[in-house]
Amino acid sequence: MLEIKDLKASLADEDKQILKGVNLTVEAGKVHAIMGPNGSGKSTLSYVLSGKDGYEVTGGSVALDGKDILEMEPEERAAEGLFLAFQYPIEIPGVGNMVFMRTAVNAQRKARGEDEMSATEFLKVVRARAKTLKIDADMLKRPVNVGFSGGEKKRNEILQMAMLEPKMCILDETDSGLDVDAMKLVAEGVNALRDEGRAFLVITHYQRLLDHIKPDLVHIMADGRIIKTGGPELALEVEQNGYADILAEVA
Amino acid sequence: MADTQRTVEAAKTRLDSISLPYGGWTAEARAAALARLQSQGLPGRRDEYWRYTRPDTLTAATAPIAVPEQHDEDGVFDHLDALKIVFVDGVFDPQASDDLSLEGITLERLAATAEFDIHWAKPIYGILEMAGQTPVARPLASFNTAQARDGVLIDVKSTPSRPVSVIYRHKDANSDVTLHHVVKVGEGATFELLESGAAAARFNHVLEVDIADRGQFHHVRAQGPDLGCRLVTHLFTRLGTESVFKSFTLGANGLLTRNECVIELTGDDAVAHVAGAAIGDGDFHHDDTVFITHDALRCESRQVFKKVLRNGAVGVFQGKILVKKDAQKTDGYQISQSLLLDGDSQFLAKPELEIYADDVVCSHGSTSGAIDEDALFYLRARGVPVDVATDLLTLAFLAEALHEIESDSLSSAVGERLEAWLAQRRS
Amino acid sequence: MTALDEVIVKDGVDQETVDAVREVGGAYKYGWETEIEMEYAPKGLNEDIVRLISDKNEEPEWMTEWRLAAFARWKKLSEPKWAMVSYPEIDFQDQYYYARPKSMEQKPKSLDEVDPKLLETYAKLGIPLKEQMLLAGVEGAEAEAVGNRKVAVDAVFDSVSVGTTFQAELRKAGVIFCSMSEAIKEHPELVRKYLGTVVPVSDNYYATLNSAVFSDGSFVYIPPGVRCPMELSTYFRINAENTGQFERTLIIAAKGSYVSYLEGCTAPQRDVAQLHAAVVELIIEEDAEVKYSTVQNWYPGDENGKGGIYNFVTKRADCRGDRAKVMWTQVETGSAVTWKYPSCILRGNESQGEFYSIAIANNMQQADTGTKMVHLGKNTKSRIVSKGISAGKAQNTYRGLVSMHQKAKDSRNYTQCDSLLIGGNCGAHTVPYIEVKNNSSRVEHEATTSKVDDEQLFYCRQRGMDEEEAVALVVNGFCKDVLQALPMEFAMEAQQLVAISLEGSVG
Repeated sequence: MLEIKDLKASLADEDKQILKGVNLTVEAGKVHAIMGPNGSGKSTLSYVLSGKDGYEVTGGSVALDGKDILEMEPEERAAEGLFLAFQYPIEIPGVGNMVFMRTAVNAQRKARGEDEMSATEFLKVVRARAKTLKIDADMLKRPVNVGFSGGEKKRNEILQMAMLEPKMCILDETDSGLDVDAMKLVAEGVNALRDEGRAFLVITHYQRLLDHIKPDLVHIMADGRIIKTGGPELALEVEQNGYADILAEVA
Repeated sequence: MADTQRTVEAAKTRLDSISLPYGGWTAEARAAALARLQSQGLPGRRDEYWRYTRPDTLTAATAPIAVPEQHDEDGVFDHLDALKIVFVDGVFDPQASDDLSLEGITLERLAATAEFDIHWAKPIYGILEMAGQTPVARPLASFNTAQARDGVLIDVKSTPSRPVSVIYRHKDANSDVTLHHVVKVGEGATFELLESGAAAARFNHVLEVDIADRGQFHHVRAQGPDLGCRLVTHLFTRLGTESVFKSFTLGANGLLTRNECVIELTGDDAVAHVAGAAIGDGDFHHDDTVFITHDALRCESRQVFKKVLRNGAVGVFQGKILVKKDAQKTDGYQISQSLLLDGDSQFLAKPELEIYADDVVCSHGSTSGAIDEDALFYLRARGVPVDVATDLLTLAFLAEALHEIESDSLSSAVGERLEAWLAQRRS
Repeated sequence: MTALDEVIVKDGVDQETVDAVREVGGAYKYGWETEIEMEYAPKGLNEDIVRLISDKNEEPEWMTEWRLAAFARWKKLSEPKWAMVSYPEIDFQDQYYYARPKSMEQKPKSLDEVDPKLLETYAKLGIPLKEQMLLAGVEGAEAEAVGNRKVAVDAVFDSVSVGTTFQAELRKAGVIFCSMSEAIKEHPELVRKYLGTVVPVSDNYYATLNSAVFSDGSFVYIPPGVRCPMELSTYFRINAENTGQFERTLIIAAKGSYVSYLEGCTAPQRDVAQLHAAVVELIIEEDAEVKYSTVQNWYPGDENGKGGIYNFVTKRADCRGDRAKVMWTQVETGSAVTWKYPSCILRGNESQGEFYSIAIANNMQQADTGTKMVHLGKNTKSRIVSKGISAGKAQNTYRGLVSMHQKAKDSRNYTQCDSLLIGGNCGAHTVPYIEVKNNSSRVEHEATTSKVDDEQLFYCRQRGMDEEEAVALVVNGFCKDVLQALPMEFAMEAQQLVAISLEGSVG
């Protein structure tokens, strides 16, 4: 599904290389987790994959279902099925959450040459999906993320994911700022979306999220590279011993 | 109509008859300023820039009389460790002044250097003032450049050990004074300038400050508290890369005060803050007019003006932020607030933004209103008498402006004086 | 109110409208021209032209004299220069001041007699005048004619009113809604009593010019205690070339009455700029309320600044009675030059004025617009919400006055004035005047200027929207406070207009 080969990227403004050759393949239906210390390049990877301004790709390739996405605009990548759940979801004053989601859903459908979703149909679907995430009608009416609590913002990200039905989901520190109950709710939302045709890349600091979203593979990222890959037990190891041992082992 | 016509003609005759005081290195700037003034004419009531302040007593041929008041209080900065320069009705007082020498800086008087042919201040004197004449004409500054007979010229090569404190004293009811100061802050140097006291029955003041890259200029002044004085000041400054300009003015009592501050941010990453706190009682008209031009990348400007007015006092604020086309990442902030302690006082404000660059964050706010009755009641319920409570809340209201003073000792000196003035009024 | 919420509210009823509006696409949509035989007054401006206009309208002597006095005064005035707009000098002698379709020579007795070409014009603009159903006498047909809401329309075409719908039904309620020319003939006592009392003849250069040469416009009188049974609207269409449109609107809301009034305007796409100088006067008595909404979509000129309407408008509401209320809402997307400050004189105690504005300037457009809130009465309240958007090479200025007079005790004003810049070649300016002359009143003014937030745009694009769509969405969010203040139909149109007006502003 997602094939990252020797991806190198630096900040556009300063000559600072952050990704120094990332290699990663995520197959359809699988959940991969990326863990790593602060500053290892995890969030940068998510931004480079989704096409945010301010990063310069200096080498390597990224293919989604065999298509090179690095030259694409962010919205083209989205239409190809790439979704990023933001670590800090952006607030957009004055724009209703529903309008936002419907605009996004229909923009993607249009880009893929599909029919737009009617207002009534959309409303039906969104209400049903919101319910499972315990998102009430009020949250749907309010402006996008404005005045949302940390947990509400993250649930809103998952709701958008559910509405957009992407192929490749990247979750950037979705657990940050959440208490255990909120995290469970978010994890349930994600698990409900797991299926054969969809892959996940879960970026996290802590193992605890992985108790709820069981990964198939765990990668350790440090200094812009993936330095170790293993099963779910790797996350437990990190949880118990920290990154020091792994870093030492690789060095 | 006929009256206006006569006034205009009288002013023209007066302008045409102005003669320049000195030859020497300032001659060129003075001649240019006079020509400028003659083409600008004196400000009149219909000028948009004088919409809220009547300029007639500032432009009249002779200064209206202002009887000096007997104060037993010392100057606001008298007890600070600073090099003192004293002007009495615009005349330098060598006895009261310190020796004009301080390590790191060259200190001279305009009058003493007037006949020199060359001088370091030549590229500044009347030059920053001229640059500040567009897009808005400031005829009274042109007048000052042409006519000033004295002032202080300070060349800061490196950071001196203490501030320079210019002290004004007013003794003559008829004094009509024009002083022009120039400060050049060298690369990486930091300089503190203090000004205090009532200077004359009518005082026209210009200060030009040229700040080189990474230089810092801190300016604190206390105007007043002579009730009958009239005052017009112009502060022109140009800022180099990563330089800092901070100016604070405390205004208290004077029939008419017009403080203009014209700031040009020409170097990237420069910072300019200008602030003022004014308390006015009765026949008091206080006008702060600020014009800040952003002409470089990532500069920051702040304007913080607070006025407390009672018994028919009038507060004016005209502030403008102009962001030129390439001044991206500008951060401009402006706040003007008035606290009206009774129904007769007025606050008139024109806070403007003119912005031609897109990647900016600029904001301004302005409020006017009475004292917070709930807060007042709360204090009174705790046993604080109403007038003391009012003063407390007044000081709290002014605090944001005082906070703009960089040095803590200066900030507390100003705060204490403010408190004393308020207490005095109470008794 | 968001587009989607409306869809939900109306649950399909309005789907047709929604789709129709959605189809609004491409550049200026109303740039076409109606080919129709016109009758012009000779070019230029002099006393004879003023008399001729008065004569064409079959006006009484007092009206002619009123115009002539205004003209005499206008000759002594000069154009105001203080606004931040620049345009080539207007040759006032090189304009037509009166143009009417030949077919309007005999004023049609009913809409049914109106030239089908004119009816077609308005139908094409989305303003059906639906006379057929009206004449068929179908009970309730009037209401159905314009969807689920009743809106009475006065259609002004160049210098003349083509017709006014629902007059009969309104008359039953005691409401007078007709063209200005009709009002001068049919209700001279009202016109004489109120005309020029809010915007005096001497008010300003363009108002004075308008007083001399206005040809038509709308007149509304809502009698005491009457809640106008439907929304009233005037649709202004400039069609003729080299012709200025000078309309005059007078609305009188008597004690305890209410009316919501809408105004729309469009013009053909032409290379030569055209002049539009209108005056609107609102008189609001005790406990009465007027809502006045405008979607101004005059032709803005092309991307090089060629052509477009010069829009110099004086609008003022006089809240004469206690507790009188007025709300101005404007969406200014058109015109090459806009000079317009809908104002409120809050004379009555506890009277209220509100001003909600969206001004979008793209390409070479210049807008200098805002409001005046003059507080004279006690306990008066005003609120100003202004959203300015600049793109292309446009200049957009908010200019406003809040004045608290000494006797306006315990009054309040709140002003929020935000500007958004799109691209590095435009300008956004804010010029507020705040004059507070008593201490029991509270005035708060806030203004911000910023650019469209990159993070917000990226968020939208990550969700699949293209850049233009993302900008339109974010800008509509920025304008929401104002869009909410518009009547529903207008809000829909305005939202689409925001998107269209910004086309080509990114990328």
